[in-house]
Amino acid sequence: MIELKNVTKKYGSFLALDDVSFKIEEGEIVGLLGPNGAGKSTTMNIITGYIEQTSGDVIVAGYDMLKKSKKAKKEIGYMPEGVPLYLDLTVKEFIKYMAELKQVNKRERKEKINEIIEKTGLENVQNKLIRNISRGYKQRVSLAGALVGDPKILILDEPTVGLDPKQITEIRKLIKKLGKNHTVIISSHILSEISQVCSKVIIINKGKILAVDTPKNLENRVVGNNRVYVTVEDKKDRMKDIKKKIKGLKTIELIKENEDKTKEYMLEGEKDVDLRKTIFEVLAKEDITVFEMKKADATLEEAFIKIIEGGKK
Amino acid sequence: MGAIIKKEFKSYFLSPVGYVFIGLFLIMFSIFFYTDVIRYGSTNFEYIFFSGATILTFIVPVLTMRTFAEERKTGVEQLLLTSPTSITKIVLAKFIAAVLILLITELCTMMYFGILCFFGMPHIQTALVTLLGFFLLGMAYVSFGIFASSITENQIIAGVITLGFFILMWFLPDFNTIFSDFSLINIFTKFPQGQIDIADTITLISFTVMSLLLTIIFMQRRKSVR
Repeated sequence: MIELKNVTKKYGSFLALDDVSFKIEEGEIVGLLGPNGAGKSTTMNIITGYIEQTSGDVIVAGYDMLKKSKKAKKEIGYMPEGVPLYLDLTVKEFIKYMAELKQVNKRERKEKINEIIEKTGLENVQNKLIRNISRGYKQRVSLAGALVGDPKILILDEPTVGLDPKQITEIRKLIKKLGKNHTVIISSHILSEISQVCSKVIIINKGKILAVDTPKNLENRVVGNNRVYVTVEDKKDRMKDIKKKIKGLKTIELIKENEDKTKEYMLEGEKDVDLRKTIFEVLAKEDITVFEMKKADATLEEAFIKIIEGGKK
Repeated sequence: MGAIIKKEFKSYFLSPVGYVFIGLFLIMFSIFFYTDVIRYGSTNFEYIFFSGATILTFIVPVLTMRTFAEERKTGVEQLLLTSPTSITKIVLAKFIAAVLILLITELCTMMYFGILCFFGMPHIQTALVTLLGFFLLGMAYVSFGIFASSITENQIIAGVITLGFFILMWFLPDFNTIFSDFSLINIFTKFPQGQIDIADTITLISFTVMSLLLTIIFMQRRKSVR
């Protein structure tokens, strides 16, 4: 659906994108992840045809963005960073204008506009001036603008920035729903957002692609180590000798002592050994009561930091 | 393209710009109507336009300064430039919308012609030629204003560039007569004398086309440096 081949973007001597290549298939929800200034917006602006790459090819829905930009642009719905809108239009006027710009068939226009207003939950504010509506609604208006014309591809640049938690969940739900019949690219520096919504993550830093993978695989890349956290009541203080009794246990470390006299330990085993069963059995034998036991999951957060730092080296 | 023309035209009246432009023009024009025509008991409608043309110098920048600059600053140009509409059409649409305002203003001046008809018999042919010249001059001015607006994201700067350029064009012939053929306002003054000079008409039209072309080229180029 979208393909970037060796795309480079230079501003003078500054290299904003350095030989970026990736491919996004139809129906995928892809997260473009990177710290501020990594090149996320530049990438999106190039895909949408707002700016031109210095070299390389951008193919959108089978059309080369430089040669067949009109056809390519028709397939894209773009929600730019910072939700720029015409403040002196009403919500409905704005959506209508976008529909006209995107050359939506005149006969279907009215129906489509109402459909989008309903889909994005803008019924209550449709006749208000955009200037006078809240940030959350503005975000939705911008999203509505992107949805106009049934584009196959949606490109959303930081769609949840500046929203309160409730609005964020709402927008995310909406995006997830849209992902069912659109190819979506979302940029974000919020990782939890990406792992909740996206099926694929592209990590970018300093204009370079560092990783393209599923959120799960990225997490796995970091986990590598095999850790279990247990909270126990250990009246006879036998925890320190436990290491010898559990096969495959590498280290054991006291993390903290709680007020209720329970202690939390981190146990790290050798690779590919599931410690949980043995721990449970051995501790019971030793008269240690297990209050809580959990396997450590690496978060995408850790993966991200590790990959970015790896990239620096 | 129709959508952009409609939206741009409407936005002139959503902000004070449209009203300020037409209002200021008519106030100034009325003053010249009195000082240049009524006071002499003359029925020469076209006389107002000698001074009337100078009004454009000051109010066209007001009309055109935000055309591209404002959208660039607020970022809404991203919506426009990522839509399947070509830059040429966008520039033309914005130009046409501004010219429509100019046309409305010019139509308003017809009422002065009406007043003169009440007192005597103004020369209709000369009046029409003058209006044509005035329209061509207005188009040339608007096209330059739009160009100035496309090169900066600060509308004040766009306005000042436009105003500065018009004033320069106005006074250049005073420094050297070589410039009198380049001074748009100088070129215009032949129209109120009732003659359509082909060379002058072509100069005004080609200036307009050139400004619009420069705007289009500039917008295209900005894609790769933005």
